[in-house]
Amino acid sequence: MVSAGTLHVISTELAIGAYATAGLAFLLAGVASHGWLRTGRHLKTADLAAHFALAFGLLAMPFAMATGISSSPGDGVDHPLLINKMLLGSAAIGLALGVLLTRRRLGAQVWDDAWGRRWQSLGGLGAVGLVLITASMGGTYTRGESLLDVLSLPYDVVPLMPMWLSLAVLGLAVVNLVLMRKPRAA
Amino acid sequence: MKRILVVIMVSALLMAPSFGAANPNGVGDGTFDAQCGGACHGDADMNRTSASTVTLEMASVVYEGLLTSVSVTVTDVQTTSSGMLGVFLLSDVSGSGDTPQDDGWTIVSNSEGGSQNYVEVVVPSGVMQHTVEWTLRAPAVGTYDLHASVHHGAEDGNGAPFFGVSAAPISVEVQPVPVDLPRLSDGFQPPVLRTLGEATTVRLTTTSVDDVQVEWRVAGGTVQSATATPDGDGAWTFDIPASLEPVVVEWRVHLEGDGPTQTTPWLALQSEASSFTVDETTAYVQSFAMLMAFMVAFMALQRRVPPPIDQPKILPFPDEVMG
Repeated sequence: MVSAGTLHVISTELAIGAYATAGLAFLLAGVASHGWLRTGRHLKTADLAAHFALAFGLLAMPFAMATGISSSPGDGVDHPLLINKMLLGSAAIGLALGVLLTRRRLGAQVWDDAWGRRWQSLGGLGAVGLVLITASMGGTYTRGESLLDVLSLPYDVVPLMPMWLSLAVLGLAVVNLVLMRKPRAA
Repeated sequence: MKRILVVIMVSALLMAPSFGAANPNGVGDGTFDAQCGGACHGDADMNRTSASTVTLEMASVVYEGLLTSVSVTVTDVQTTSSGMLGVFLLSDVSGSGDTPQDDGWTIVSNSEGGSQNYVEVVVPSGVMQHTVEWTLRAPAVGTYDLHASVHHGAEDGNGAPFFGVSAAPISVEVQPVPVDLPRLSDGFQPPVLRTLGEATTVRLTTTSVDDVQVEWRVAGGTVQSATATPDGDGAWTFDIPASLEPVVVEWRVHLEGDGPTQTTPWLALQSEASSFTVDETTAYVQSFAMLMAFMVAFMALQRRVPPPIDQPKILPFPDEVMG
């Protein structure tokens, strides 16, 4: 029987590979949408590759998270790194979902508007960056070192909000989501 | 809807194997019965026989209510690539109600810094023998048996659980305490855990004791002496220096009085970094809040009215030509 640890390695590699591809494609799409470096003709390819890879990475992430929890020694989240991984991973999923839902709503025209193309490429790159930092934390937790250690990120500091503040942020987000669903006059 | 159902089913099937494995990363120390219902391997029928040999060593005669030690040695250690090995101290191997506590023993400490009958140790690759020691308080007068067993996985990582048990139990006779025997009082409970960087003051409560000699050592290291100070009414205090690393410090006392001098077993004191605790519900709620906040914030940034689908956005030629 394959252990949770082995499955975690497989699912993590799937997720990270997909996100790394998405990151490169979002960078290319951002450059191409601005017409820089004569890459404008690659916009359609980069756009499709970026969003497809991001969606694939998003699908692989729950498997990586579930197997990671299964293979982790001890009960629950009992280490600052694990809490930070969970918070950062959630932020990454949220940002990636926002990027994908925006692409679904606006279609390829998301790249037509000047601010739209900036936000879309930056949003995609941001989601990828957050996932890479999350993965780096996993390396620090299991092996005691990772490639991003050069940045000296404060992994041991847990920015935990009080429950009421989390609920307020959640409520605000839900209210905004509901309001956004109402069509705005053109 | 049908597609969503298929995706959910496939996801559940893909995730099922990870939860079905026999806890290859262990379950942590605890108080468990022989077949560890709820511990490492749920179903005894799945177990394979371990090739390891398990032996116990203990004094054959001990005194009621006094401390004694038992060591369990596992030879020909076999385990997973992570080296995880689970070791049990048991009163029988029936699989139910067979912890030492069920026979009246009290586990005071074990060499891994806990006070449970099941401990998980990590045996480095290539090491073929490992010993775990327990310090027990003897039960009522009588004759008792103690067993030991091991649970582990296999190097090839196939997930099969292995179970091994001591070939023969060790038999112990518990006798009444002689009247003038220098001893620790029945209610004395030694500390088993302490925080890194903090010295530990131990307060001994004794009976029929005129003088106390204290010895301590870092597990396996040189034996040092500590000075015990009388604290009135048969009590004595002494200090164990702070440790800067998470190590096990062992200590014992020689008790002198009118009766024959007694020496307690080595008692383990584990130093640990102050544990990290957090309200998990708060963390989970914040995670979900961050997920929603990041998603909605980004969608709000990109909030524009999409053009009607039936209106072509880009025409191949200027309007004048098309017109």
